[in-house]
Amino acid sequence: MAIEIHELGEARIRVWAAGEGPPLVYLHGMEQHPGDAPFLQRLARHHHVFAPELPGYGASTGFEGIDDILDLVLFERRLIESLGAGIVDVVGHDLGGMVAAELAALCPWLVRKVVLVDAYGLWTDEAPPADPYTFTADALRAAKWHDPATAPDPEPNIDPPDPADPAAAMLTRAQNLAISTKFLWPIPDRGLRKRLSLITAPTLVVHGASDGLIPLAHARALAALVPGAELTVIVDAGHLPMIEQVDAFIDVVEGFLAL
Amino acid sequence: MKFHWFAEVTYGDLPADFPQRHDSSWVDIPASLADPRIVGQHYRMFIRLMQQADREGFDGLAVNEHHQTSFAMTPSPNLLAASVASSTENAAILVIGDSLALYNPPTRVAEELAYLDCLSDGRLIAGFVFGTPMDSTFSYGIPPVELRDRFHEARDLILRAWSEPEPFAFNGRWTKLRYVNLWPRPVQARPPIWIPGSGSVETWDLVTDEDYCYGHLSFSGLRSAKPIVDGYWSHVEARGGDLNPHRMAFTQICCVADSDAEAERLYTDAVRYFYTHNPQATRFLTPPGYTSTASARAQQARGTAGISAQDRRRAASGELSFWEYDELGYIVAGTPERVRQRLADLATELRVGQLIACLHMGDLAEEVAAMNTHLFGTGVIPYLRDLWADQPDHWTPITSQQRVAAAAAATNGAKDQLPAGAPALGG
Repeated sequence: MAIEIHELGEARIRVWAAGEGPPLVYLHGMEQHPGDAPFLQRLARHHHVFAPELPGYGASTGFEGIDDILDLVLFERRLIESLGAGIVDVVGHDLGGMVAAELAALCPWLVRKVVLVDAYGLWTDEAPPADPYTFTADALRAAKWHDPATAPDPEPNIDPPDPADPAAAMLTRAQNLAISTKFLWPIPDRGLRKRLSLITAPTLVVHGASDGLIPLAHARALAALVPGAELTVIVDAGHLPMIEQVDAFIDVVEGFLAL
Repeated sequence: MKFHWFAEVTYGDLPADFPQRHDSSWVDIPASLADPRIVGQHYRMFIRLMQQADREGFDGLAVNEHHQTSFAMTPSPNLLAASVASSTENAAILVIGDSLALYNPPTRVAEELAYLDCLSDGRLIAGFVFGTPMDSTFSYGIPPVELRDRFHEARDLILRAWSEPEPFAFNGRWTKLRYVNLWPRPVQARPPIWIPGSGSVETWDLVTDEDYCYGHLSFSGLRSAKPIVDGYWSHVEARGGDLNPHRMAFTQICCVADSDAEAERLYTDAVRYFYTHNPQATRFLTPPGYTSTASARAQQARGTAGISAQDRRRAASGELSFWEYDELGYIVAGTPERVRQRLADLATELRVGQLIACLHMGDLAEEVAAMNTHLFGTGVIPYLRDLWADQPDHWTPITSQQRVAAAAAATNGAKDQLPAGAPALGG
């Protein structure tokens, strides 16, 4: 595996890449790129995995030119096209899931199959997602994990904590979350609902049963709005089932992609 | 040295157990806690007090913008400013300020400030603010990462709208207008511009490069502000900016009375109400992106010198005595002699030429605020007027400067009317 810098015009994007096989693009969530997380390494057993960092996150640039979700989708489109891998499977989590759904709707020639994992993108007054920006660290931990006591600490992160610069992790985290506000603040709805019916790629919605940030009703609505989409709920998992229940997650995702 | 009358338009009738029952007086504070009739009484009281301040010789009357809070019920400062501009004669109308990122299109700010400048016959000071996180990002929903860009584009549009003689098109990132053609235009070719900040280096660069007046608007006093204000002036100097003290505004709660004991008797409850009935919940204070990485780094390097965390907690919980609030700098209290000496020290130490004196606080009774205003206007301002007199003030309107000076001359006759013992103050 390797982390390579991809240049896209003026932008420089870190792309974690590993494995051989059919190409798979993983888009990370609002907090950080997960780096060498076990679930990415497991996916790389059967796929050539590309996990680009979103522009503005960590050491990746290019956020200045992005005005809205459409610009971000076009950015990811150009990035995927620059990989030269042709049509790809896309797995997106959280904010990355929102982007994956947009990509599948707007660039159907680029997406073979799509997996949306505890994804943002919809709003219902009956079951709104939580406002994660108001949570204390402890409250966020409680909301994210089915079992906070066994959750990894630190979490998988492309930028692991640096003992020589303890402030850096906090500042990078603030920078990452700042970028996410562009697409999720104050309501994580940028019109995806109107576009989901355009998705032609086979779609799997995956949701942790104990997700305290995005209610299960949100995943049900997402699956109902994408033609032919399936929903799989992973038990004993919260907002990050790919970390908390990696075996179940890999089984479900590989099973869907192999069909 | 200039003195501007100010008060947060605080709801003064919250229950005594409010701080125990609520962790935030912002964003999601129950609206049922306020009686709109009492809010109206507050508004009329503040208008009367500012009209009095105009008669008492203050240089400016300051109004500000906040949203969804009992702390300051002035969602549009321009409304209160309009009430005051139409019923005063001399003082500057200091709007400090309009939250530029929250107006759509921002020409609304250009129009309303021009209206105020016309109405006041050229007495407007235009303050532009980012707004607190509670105001701009939570109550008004601007993504924090967009706030500064929106602010700067709006500022550019407003300045052009005031000055371009012909209609023009504005194709901004956030605002697109085919025809910008402002009616009315301000009386002043370009009203003085003030921008308050809380230590962000980007704001320091802006006010230095554009020669605006910077404002440090906290209610924590000299000791808390000292590291930040010193950092600001060092930054200005290193960047080759203008070190004129009239480019620096500072807020200070003042409690003036005929004796120190009387000050303690009259103001203790209101000061305690002010500091205890404004809880700011952590969940609304630090949205990601509100502070840039560069400014966060600078703040960390600066540390929390000034006032200890323990004293801050005691101030917010009301555990400080009246004179501890005074000693730590949260308030400046006592006789006019004591107050003016301490303000002279503060202004000299922080290099402040624009003092925004908060003369009503919390649930203070109107008659006490009126007395405060009178004692400050007659027993403090005339003695400190000449501080920084060797430095020109380009940051208050010419018209208000001339009218306030003429009124002072008419009232006092001459300087020899001042009681003996006026301190000699140098710049």
